[in-house]
Amino acid sequence: MELLIQTVVNGLIQSGFYALAAIGLVLVFGVMRVVNFAHGELVMIGAYTIWFVHAQNGVPYLITVVLAILLVTALGLLMERFLFRPMTGDPLGGLICSIGMLFILQVIATYVGGEGPSKQVPPPFEGTLVLMDSVRIPYQRLFSITVAVFALGILWYFLTRTKFGWAVRAVSMDREAAALQGISTIRVSMIAIGVGAAMAGLAGALMAPLTNINPHMGHNVIIAAFIVTIVGGVGSLPGAVIASVLYALFHTFVTTYFSGTIATISGLVIMVLVLIVRPTGIMGHRVSE
Amino acid sequence: MTPILEVKHLTMRFGGLLAVDDVSFSVNEGEIRGLIGPNGAGKSTTFKMIAGFLSPTSGDVLFRSNNITNQRPSRIASAGVVRTFQETTLFQELSVFENVLIGTHKQAHTNIISAVLGLDRQMQNEAIEATTEVLEFMGLAERKNQLAAELPLGLQRALAVAISLAAKPSLLLMDEPFAGMNPEETRHMMELTERVRESGISIVLVEHNMKAVMGLCDRLVVLNFGTVLDDGTPDQVRHNPNVIQAYLGGG
Amino acid sequence: MNNFIPAKFRPVLFLLLLYAGLIVLPHFLKYHQQDFLIFLTINILVVVSYRLVTLTGEWSLIHAVMMGVGAYTSALISKNFDISFWITLPLAGVMAGLVALLLSYPLFRMTQFYFLIGSFAAGEAIRLSWIQFIKPFGGTGGTSAIPSPELMNIDFLEPIPYFYLVLIVVSICVYLLYRIENSRIGLTLHAVHWKGVLAESVGVNTWNYRTLAFVIGSLFVGIAGALKVHYIGTVAPKQFDIGFMVFILIWVIVGGYRTFYGAIIGAVVLSVLDEILRGVEQLRPAIYGATLIFFILYLPGGLESLPQKIKQKFRANRESAT
Repeated sequence: MELLIQTVVNGLIQSGFYALAAIGLVLVFGVMRVVNFAHGELVMIGAYTIWFVHAQNGVPYLITVVLAILLVTALGLLMERFLFRPMTGDPLGGLICSIGMLFILQVIATYVGGEGPSKQVPPPFEGTLVLMDSVRIPYQRLFSITVAVFALGILWYFLTRTKFGWAVRAVSMDREAAALQGISTIRVSMIAIGVGAAMAGLAGALMAPLTNINPHMGHNVIIAAFIVTIVGGVGSLPGAVIASVLYALFHTFVTTYFSGTIATISGLVIMVLVLIVRPTGIMGHRVSE
Repeated sequence: MTPILEVKHLTMRFGGLLAVDDVSFSVNEGEIRGLIGPNGAGKSTTFKMIAGFLSPTSGDVLFRSNNITNQRPSRIASAGVVRTFQETTLFQELSVFENVLIGTHKQAHTNIISAVLGLDRQMQNEAIEATTEVLEFMGLAERKNQLAAELPLGLQRALAVAISLAAKPSLLLMDEPFAGMNPEETRHMMELTERVRESGISIVLVEHNMKAVMGLCDRLVVLNFGTVLDDGTPDQVRHNPNVIQAYLGGG
Repeated sequence: MNNFIPAKFRPVLFLLLLYAGLIVLPHFLKYHQQDFLIFLTINILVVVSYRLVTLTGEWSLIHAVMMGVGAYTSALISKNFDISFWITLPLAGVMAGLVALLLSYPLFRMTQFYFLIGSFAAGEAIRLSWIQFIKPFGGTGGTSAIPSPELMNIDFLEPIPYFYLVLIVVSICVYLLYRIENSRIGLTLHAVHWKGVLAESVGVNTWNYRTLAFVIGSLFVGIAGALKVHYIGTVAPKQFDIGFMVFILIWVIVGGYRTFYGAIIGAVVLSVLDEILRGVEQLRPAIYGATLIFFILYLPGGLESLPQKIKQKFRANRESAT
C-alpha cells in the first residue's frame, strides 16, 4: 500500500518534468510545423547550466535557475532565427537542421563538462517530508513540482488571457488565415520557441539535482516528449499536460514494478497505436485529394 | 444493351450536411454524358465517389454491372474507369513522355524479379509504343522530352488526358477539363474530347463551360443541392424552367 | 574528354579501373584502414538501400534498426544453432524484410511527420527490446563470439579476405538495387512520390508500392547488418541507435538524393573526412552537425549538384564578362 502511494506521488512529480519538456515541442510544432529533435538537448543545457554555474562555481541555486532559463531561451531564439526561419515551409529541412543542432549542443556540453561519468548536483533543498509515516517526498522534489505547476499556470494564463497568447493559438490553428488577419507569423514563431525553450530550460534546471547529468540525457527527454505530444494530440497544449500526467504515472508504475526499459517500450508501442487509430493524412487504404 | 455505368441512389453525408442525396443516372456505351449544376450542387462529390476517391454513405456504382463501390481507386482504374484531375495534377518533375509512360501501368506493371532480370523487356517496349501512340493522338509527340511543368496550360490539360488514355480506359471521367481555358484552347480541347469518344471510349464530363457541355454532350444530368434536377438531352435541359431558375436564381 | 574511347565503353572502363583499384587498395593500407574500408563498403549498401525507401518520398527513421534486425538474426542463428554464415546471411535479409512487412501495416497509415515519428518510435521499441530481453539478445552489452564465415581454407578473420567478401556481396546488392530503380518499378515509385493520387488514378496501388520499397530496402540493409557483425564479432543495440540513423541521413543529404550516385558520394566523402577527423574525436559530432546544417541551408542538392552549380556560375560569369 505504501509502495502504491509512493509510486503515485513519484509519478505525479515526474509528470511536471514531462509537461514542461513536452510543452515546448508542442508549441514549436503547432506554430512552425517543425519537429525540433534538439528539444531534449535544450533541457540538457538547462541541467548543465545548474551543474556548471551552481555546483561548480557556487552561484546560488535560484539565481542559476533564472540564468538557465535565460540562456536556453536565447538558444531557442537563435535556432529560430538561423535554422527554422530560413527553412519555413520545408518541415523535413527544419527537422534535419534540428538534428544537426542536437550534435552541436552535445559536443558543447562535453567540452564544458569533460568526458567521464555523469555529473551529480547535490540537492539545494535538503530534508524529506514524511507523510503517513512512510511516504517520503524530498523537499527538492516538492520544490520542483511546485515550480513546474506554477510555470504551467503562468503559461496557461499567457495563452488564454493575453493578446500574444491569442496570436500563438491562432497561428497554430491556421497559419495562413492568421497571417491574413495581420498576425506576424515570425513574431509568433519567436514567442513560441522562446516560451518553449524557457520551459525546457526550467525543466532542465529543476531536474538537475534529481538526475544524472550527461550530454546524452536529452535522448530520454525527447522520447518522453514525443510520446506525450502524440498521445495528447499533436498541437494540443491541454492534451499534452493531461498526457504528461497519465504517461508519468504509467511510466513510474511500470518502472517500479517491472523495469524502466519495459516502461519506455510500452510507451512507444502506445504511441504507435495512437498514431494508427488517429492518423493524419491518408487514412488507411482510402486515398483522398 | 446495359449501360456502361450505373449510379444508383448515391448519397454522401458530411457530418450534418447532405452533399449528395439519392442521385441516380446511367451512362450508355459510347456516350458523352455531362454532369452539370451550380457551385456546391454535389458534382465533385459524385465524381469522386464514382472514381473511388470518396466512400459514399450509401448507394452503389455499377460498372458493366459489376459493383465497384468502395473499391480502391487503383482497382477501379484497372477495371477501366479512369479519372482526370481538376487542377493541373501532373508529374511536374518528369518529362511528358515519362508522364504518359506511368499511365500505362495497367499493361506494363511488373514484379521485382522480372524487373531485375529484364524479363519484362518486351512488355516495357510495348508500353513505350503505346505511349508514343497516345502522345501522337493527343498532339504532344513533339514535346515529349520537355518537363511537364514547362508546358502551357492547354497542353498540360491535354497531357492530363493523355496520361489517363494511356491507362486504356473504357470510361473516362473528366473533371472540368475546360476550366480557365481561352476560346482557342477550349476549341482544341473539344476536338480532342470528340476524338477520344470516336476511339470508342465513353466519357463522363463534369464541367462549368456551357458552350463545351452543350456542344459535346449527348445527355446531361443537372444536379442542384445534391439532387437530380433534370436528366435529358442538351436541348431538353436548356428549356427546363427549373434548370434556368437554378442557374439564374438559387445558384 | 577522351575521344579514343567510345562513350558507350566509358562506364565499363570506369568500373574496371574502380574494381582493379579496390582489389589492390587494401594491400597498401594499415590494419585500421583496412577495417575502415570494410565498414565504408558496408555503409554504401546501407545508404543505397535507404535510397530505395526514400524514393516514395517517405523518410523513415527505422533503417538503422532494420540493419540491426538483420545483424541480430544472422548473429544469433549462426551462433546458437551452429548454422553456416552462407545461410544466415540471406536469412538476415529475409527477416528484416519480414519485420518491415509487418511494420508497414501500422506505419503506412501515417504520412510525412507522423510516419517519421512513428518509424522512430517503432524502431526505438525494437531496439529497447534488445536491451530488455537479455535472453536471447544479450542486453546492453549485446552478444559476442559471432562465428566468422567459413569457405575452404580462407581466414575471414583477416581484413583482406573479408573485404573481398564484402566487396562481392555489396556489389551484387547495389547492382540489384540499381536495376530496380531503373526499371518500371523505379519509375512507378517516383510517380508515387511526386503525385500519389495521380498514380492511383491510373491503377497504381500506392500502398503496395510504398510497402514494396520499404520491404526491399529493409531486406538489403539487413544483409548489410549481417556483414558488419560477422566481421566485428559482436552485435549490440548501440550499433543501430538513432545516432547511426542520423549518420545515414547525413550521408544521403550531403551526397544528394536526386540521383543513384549521390548517396554513395556522400558516404564515401564523409567517411573519409571522418577518418581524417580521428584526431579530434570529441569534436566529430559537432562537425557532422554543422556540415548537415550547412548543406541543408546552402546546398540542398548535395555534393552531386556541385559540378553543375560551378558550371552554371562559371557560365554566368563568362556571360556577364562579354
